[in-house]
Amino acid sequence: MYSWLFLAILPLPALSVLDKTHGVPPSLVAKYAPANSASGAGQTWTCLDGSKQISWNAVNDDYCDCPDGTDEPGTSACPNGVFFCKNAGHIGSTIPSSRVNDGLCEPECCDGSDEAPGACPDTCKAVGEEYRKKAEAERKLRKTGSKIRASYIAFAHKEKKRLEGALVDLEQEIATREKEVERLTDIAKRTESLSAKELERKKQSPLYQSLLTHHTALKSLQHDYKKHTEREKVLGEILDALRTGYNPNYQDMAVLEAVRGWETLAGLPHINNVRKGEDEDSAAAETPQSPQEDKKEDEEDGLWSAERTERELNKLLNVDHVTLLLEHEKVVGEPSSHSILLDVTAYLPDSFIPPYLAFRENLLSWLELLGIKAGSSDTSSEANRARQALSDAEHSLKLTRDELQTAHEDLSDIFNAEGFGAEGEWKKLDGLCLEKDMGEYTYEVCLFDEARQKPNKGGSSFSLGKFTSWNKLAEPGTPEYYTRQRYTQGAKCWNGPQRSLELILTCGTENVLLTVSEPEKCEYQITGTTPALCLPVEEERRDEL
Amino acid sequence: MRPPVILLLLGFLLPASQTFAFKANDFKTCAQSGFCRRGRALSARALAAGSSWRFPYSIDPSSILLAPDQASFTASVKSALYPEVNFGLDVRLHDDGVVRVRMDETGGLRKRYDEAANWALVAPPSISRDIVWKVGKGTVHAVYGEKKNIEVVVEFDPLRVTLLRDGVEQVVLNDRGLLHMEHFRTKDDTKPVTIQDGEGEAQTTLQLNNRAWFEGEEQDAWWEETWSSWTDSKPKGPESLSLDVTFPNHRHVYGIPQHATNLSLPTTTGPDAGYTDPYRLYNSDVFEYLVSSPVSLYGSVPLMHAHNAKSTVAIFNAVGSDTWIDVGRTESGTETHWISESGILDVFLLPGPTPTDVFAQYTRLTGTAPLPAHWALGYHQCRWNYVSSDDVRSVQRRLDDENMPVDAFWLDIEYSEGHKYFIWDKKNFPDPVEMIKDVEALERRMVIIVDPHLKRDSSYPVYKAASDLESLVKPKSGSGEYEGWCWPGSSSWVDFFNPKSWDMWVSFFKTKSVDGRWSWTESTENVGIWNDMNEPSVFNGPEISMPRDNVHYGGWEHRDVHNINGMLFTNQTYNALMHRSDPPKRPFVLTRSFYAGSQRFGAMWTGDNVGTWEHMAIGIKMVLANGLGGFGFGGSDVGGFFGNPDPEMLVRWYAVGAFSPFFRAHAHIDSKRREPYLLDEPYKSMLRDVLRLRYAMLPVWYTAFREMSATGIPILRPQYVVFPEDSEGFAIDDQFYVGSSGLLVKPVTTRGATSASVYLSDPQIYYDYFTFHTYPAPAKKVARGRTVTVPAALHQIPLLIRGGSIVPTRERPRRSSALMRNDPFTLRVALSSDGSAAGEIYLDDGEGYGYTNGEFVWRQFGAETKKGGWGKGEELKIWSKDWARQGGSNDVVVYNPANAFANSVSGVRMERVIVVGVGSRPTVVSVNGGSTVEWEWQGGIGYGATTESKAGVLVIRDPAVGIASDWQIAVVF
Repeated sequence: MYSWLFLAILPLPALSVLDKTHGVPPSLVAKYAPANSASGAGQTWTCLDGSKQISWNAVNDDYCDCPDGTDEPGTSACPNGVFFCKNAGHIGSTIPSSRVNDGLCEPECCDGSDEAPGACPDTCKAVGEEYRKKAEAERKLRKTGSKIRASYIAFAHKEKKRLEGALVDLEQEIATREKEVERLTDIAKRTESLSAKELERKKQSPLYQSLLTHHTALKSLQHDYKKHTEREKVLGEILDALRTGYNPNYQDMAVLEAVRGWETLAGLPHINNVRKGEDEDSAAAETPQSPQEDKKEDEEDGLWSAERTERELNKLLNVDHVTLLLEHEKVVGEPSSHSILLDVTAYLPDSFIPPYLAFRENLLSWLELLGIKAGSSDTSSEANRARQALSDAEHSLKLTRDELQTAHEDLSDIFNAEGFGAEGEWKKLDGLCLEKDMGEYTYEVCLFDEARQKPNKGGSSFSLGKFTSWNKLAEPGTPEYYTRQRYTQGAKCWNGPQRSLELILTCGTENVLLTVSEPEKCEYQITGTTPALCLPVEEERRDEL
Repeated sequence: MRPPVILLLLGFLLPASQTFAFKANDFKTCAQSGFCRRGRALSARALAAGSSWRFPYSIDPSSILLAPDQASFTASVKSALYPEVNFGLDVRLHDDGVVRVRMDETGGLRKRYDEAANWALVAPPSISRDIVWKVGKGTVHAVYGEKKNIEVVVEFDPLRVTLLRDGVEQVVLNDRGLLHMEHFRTKDDTKPVTIQDGEGEAQTTLQLNNRAWFEGEEQDAWWEETWSSWTDSKPKGPESLSLDVTFPNHRHVYGIPQHATNLSLPTTTGPDAGYTDPYRLYNSDVFEYLVSSPVSLYGSVPLMHAHNAKSTVAIFNAVGSDTWIDVGRTESGTETHWISESGILDVFLLPGPTPTDVFAQYTRLTGTAPLPAHWALGYHQCRWNYVSSDDVRSVQRRLDDENMPVDAFWLDIEYSEGHKYFIWDKKNFPDPVEMIKDVEALERRMVIIVDPHLKRDSSYPVYKAASDLESLVKPKSGSGEYEGWCWPGSSSWVDFFNPKSWDMWVSFFKTKSVDGRWSWTESTENVGIWNDMNEPSVFNGPEISMPRDNVHYGGWEHRDVHNINGMLFTNQTYNALMHRSDPPKRPFVLTRSFYAGSQRFGAMWTGDNVGTWEHMAIGIKMVLANGLGGFGFGGSDVGGFFGNPDPEMLVRWYAVGAFSPFFRAHAHIDSKRREPYLLDEPYKSMLRDVLRLRYAMLPVWYTAFREMSATGIPILRPQYVVFPEDSEGFAIDDQFYVGSSGLLVKPVTTRGATSASVYLSDPQIYYDYFTFHTYPAPAKKVARGRTVTVPAALHQIPLLIRGGSIVPTRERPRRSSALMRNDPFTLRVALSSDGSAAGEIYLDDGEGYGYTNGEFVWRQFGAETKKGGWGKGEELKIWSKDWARQGGSNDVVVYNPANAFANSVSGVRMERVIVVGVGSRPTVVSVNGGSTVEWEWQGGIGYGATTESKAGVLVIRDPAVGIASDWQIAVVF
């Protein structure tokens, strides 16, 4: 990169014979001429900012006279100056004056003009060639990439059409479903008014009342249980993360104690032993012992296992109490008077009778199967069914409406500069998951969705955040804007911030992740390439002009 | 007992309110330390007894034996407490007047640790050939000094040693009768004397302890001692050493670094005590230390200066064990009490009489700092951690893009695979040598961390080699390897007391393997080394360190050598780097832990500070105090290790760093990145200006380092060192002079400051370095100092140049210091109140040892104003002359003005001479009595000014005189 120089001993005063235009860019060469035609010491020159008139001899004499540094274009005398190297055979370049005559051959000045004559070889021919080769390779890459990008744009247009079609369909579907809901509402209302009175009377049964209380109690317990289970899971995750990620940071033995305590509680081997074993791939020794203990607990007093409890509890809580009440009556008391349910047909519109009858048959045979049928139906369960049917229909309507909403949003995002790009070139990549194996972890970025860190040797993975924005430091729509994606609000680090990720992309023919780093704790940086950033080559050229 | 795990778990789940705080529970207080408790109780008993206090120790006059040189004598010492125990005293006079007093138990059950001084001293001191002890009736005494005004008196009964100057007591050992050397005994010996009294069954047992008046009733923590969850087995029993040192006429004491406290040490005893606990010297890895506290920190230098307007003296107590020091004030002086856990008494009395003399006397004993590699004075960019080789390259590129100079990039522990130092984590550093070379291509350096704990992993060649050589610290059993917990997890520690480890350490640092032994081939001969955690820090050990009953080479317990341990690590690293190349290059080693003598092996920093204004301010005082302790090459982490400083704080902290001998920005792994290029404007440009100022002033710093390496005078000089007679300045520790340059700095360490008060001791004109604003000398009658107000907005640094100084700088911004080597110089000549000035510059190749063969340039600059020299008006002469030949120092042995280095810079010129305090327009400026040169005069008042105003400034344009040649510039008015 830099070649070394052996010190050339310069006579005093240094650089007295430097050309006045040494280090001056072509656009300014005309300004480097004495102000008057008088020869010798009488000639003057004015600093380019007009602030000072100096002797023409003072230009490029290795002493800074001008506040703007323009009197020393070819030396390092002015701290704020710039030096231009012509680089014949390549492209001219500028460097800060502070890099002139510092003993290093600057890579920007392949002609070696930044150092004393002869100190640095002129490598412009080779450098220029290399540069052109690279530029050509770059151009080719862009060209290939931009073709892929064009296909992405085409996809976006197709997607747009598809969505537009879907919108029409969805709107129709909504209209149908709305009607359906209206109709079912009507039925439910009527059914309920018929049965309500009788039902109210039966509900006064102490058994029913107690059942309701039990139900509430059970529900509360289940709620609490779920909360605690969830909490334990989160704590377990925190402690697992502490255990595996533990660095005796802060030299805090309390942390070590916490890790050891957790290992004892969770029946895990000591992490240090696991780490030691890593090289010999014996991490498999990590066999939790806790399940056995759980089994033992299960057998006690004929209690349910946790799994069974969960299963049965849900079933229990989902039982329709009204149905149960009526069934109960069938078992303990004599058949009640003729059920309204069986006469429901009388109240139904003609067109609805056949499906209803079919439904009733099904229901009754189901009850028979379970051995709780009593040959006749009753009013309340009929009302229940009607309510259920209504609720189902309402739910379907809501889903369809949501679908419509999403389709609307998707459509507006496709050609949005702050969404999938003004040309929709990113739409194709929506949800595409890219992976990079870094040894200890595999990093996964699902574009526009979520990024994750997954341990290769097992254990829970962590969210590095969800997509929140493009490069906030650039104007939406500019190429620079699309080179960075921010993923934020990932899993919280122990004693640190929530994880976040910056995905830095460049043009490439493939969608691929290249490097992963963590420049600050829990703030990740991943680089990668994508064809979506390969602007058409012609366009690039226009920009350069 | 440790609390049950479940409690800890609960504690863990509770909100952590103390996440960022000093953990006082991790470290002992005096009351929790058995021997300190005994020491303080002893002093309390003496205080209570008042004048009736008896001194147990006395010299047996018949035993006095004068050495043939007559400057040393030995004698037997008896303790009235234990007449059967023998002690030996050895008192020597060095040829520079230093008195060394040694006392040890003789013929005891065991041997006390007596090697602390061997490690601290640079060479055996030379015993005086002309000072003679005279044995009298009750005393032995000696009179010496040029004026025969120094007297040392050793009294027999009680044993007492007094150093006097002009008949005035300077320092007295055992003035208060607290001297006590606990002799070795067995547990059986120490059963209390039991006298059975009475008859038949009515026997009562009376315990009589006839030493209780001195030692106390109880055998307090004589044997096993438990603190927190650790038990110290103390196999040797009680062996502590108590010594009182009184400075009857000095009310200011300084030194005993390292503590976060004022330079002039606050008291720890008496009704107005600044602290309740004694100062402690026990090298400790203290997490987020308090900014005003006597607790021990990472390093220990048992050296204390005592100062008054007429004299400075010091004592150096060569002890390596845990030591507590009480400081109390008397009406006219200061009394101190030193309580050490083990070791012999080995105290040096440094007679002064000036601060400069004390620095010379101390560094003659423990050595001066060697001249560092020049690049080490540049800006160091560090972070825990630069995470990959590309990260390092990117930091370098971004600093270059912003034209911010830097000389070194640092790698903290995460470069290593599993914290196995030397072994690169190839996932993130796949090309370490290429990375180092990319940095070195700009003539910069990399500094890489190597800690003393080795991961216990037999596939780790460094651990394997140390283990095979049995050169690891042993547990209390005395065999096997001590195992503790540190960064890599289970670790062992190299025992650098074991000479076998030295050669091993040298071989590790070779960049090419020798004899098939493992060596660090993936490094270069230019890499600097950072030695951290060498207190040693042990995460699961008592006080975050090793158990005291661990065993080192020679069978010594860790307690005996604890404070020396860290120094040996850097000693061997320094040695290894010295042997890395041929010819050798000057090693750069940074250490956190240190001891007396550590200055010989590199630089230190003040450890894990916090990004607060208070820490910024205390860092300055700590660096000043370390300088007094001989270790002048120091600094604190710019920005604070922990936390996220805001831009204002960061700008101020860079200014602090730019005026520290060691200038490094560092940050904790949990902190946000804060490299200077990341700041927004205007802060970014402010940092660039500060960095450039440091680089412009490198000639000043390097010259100051040369002076320190020759004389021991610290680079940063507090007010009392420069003006020892001005009592107003004795307690000032927030401003300082840089070497002998005449530059006076007062870094701003408060938020929102726009001005700063600077105290000036001397009746001399001062100029603002940047604006040339004058702070005129007061009328001569005023003897006292004065306080001036200096502008100090965020972009300004209160930096004054004292009238009479000549300051050489290099003002062309470059990317690294080495790239400035052919740049021309600027001279700032600040005329004194009488129109004169002087200054110096020292230059050499900055990297090798050619300077020891006279390959350097050392010039003195002068300026003088003469009236009527040319028949009318004044004439000002400014000159440069060779200084190596003309009395700059006696240390220059070999010197030839036409040496190779001088020849290499013969083309380097003086591009500008700025004369400050020129009150009228000159008529002509000529060089070497011949050609005239261009100049510009910016009108203003002259050096004789009596008002604050802008000084007149004469800028002499490109006189084209060489840095290495004699010249004279004449300014005629």
